[in-house]
Amino acid sequence: MSTAAAETVDDDLWSAIGDPTRRRMLDLLLIEGAGTATTLSRHLPVTRQAVAKHLGVLDRAGLVRATPAGREKRYRVEEAQLTRAVAQLASVGSAWDARLQRIKRIAEAIQRAQQD
Amino acid sequence: MELGTIEREIYIEASPEIVFAVVSSPDHLRRWWPDDARYEPAPGSAGEIVFGDRDADGTVVSFTVVDARPPRTFSFRWTHPAGEVAVEGNSLLVTFDLTPSGGGTLLKMTETGFREMGWEAALLEQQYREHVTGWDFYLPRLAPYVATLQVRS
Repeated sequence: MSTAAAETVDDDLWSAIGDPTRRRMLDLLLIEGAGTATTLSRHLPVTRQAVAKHLGVLDRAGLVRATPAGREKRYRVEEAQLTRAVAQLASVGSAWDARLQRIKRIAEAIQRAQQD
Repeated sequence: MELGTIEREIYIEASPEIVFAVVSSPDHLRRWWPDDARYEPAPGSAGEIVFGDRDADGTVVSFTVVDARPPRTFSFRWTHPAGEVAVEGNSLLVTFDLTPSGGGTLLKMTETGFREMGWEAALLEQQYREHVTGWDFYLPRLAPYVATLQVRS
């Protein structure tokens, strides 16, 4: 896979998971195992059409997988992709954990040096 | 919480004045993050931070101070394209909030803009995560150690 392709996928992944409604939908799908635009819209303050649109975004980012269910599609969370998204965000967080630990060490050393 | 935002809090046994200096001054920044830092710690000041060797294959990253109110708040934008003014949408915003607590300081860090910037910014961040050198780790310990030696001699 080329780097450019990987970045496109990652961009989609990021914006897909960046939306609060879509995150709520992922939560619902994880809790209930699967759902359609109709069943999800019962739990959300948005229309069935809006839910279907959000599901399309999640699908393109590889975060959910659709199977035909009568006139609708039934969606399940693609857990490997979700795990990947969470892991990448966590790695940025751990970079800051390390930086803040260094800030703490430096500041506390200065404080101790001033007290001595 | 927005998933495009990173929030961290850490308690530091040092006064807000000291912590403010450590998070804001270029000299201190060099000890906990980039290899080089050139900017004035004043609002609007545009500069750069460098990872690796500037003249070899190092990476120069734009850095603009947004707010500096000692000893309470220091914020900056980074990762905007060179020559562009740092605004929402082209950069990541890092904010340090300092609150006096007990004898020390509660330092809160927020980094936002990932959602606007997209995934490449997160990858960029990831690239810089392992910027830990031996000196970063040992120098802070060395200072108090040197102080004890001076007392004895």
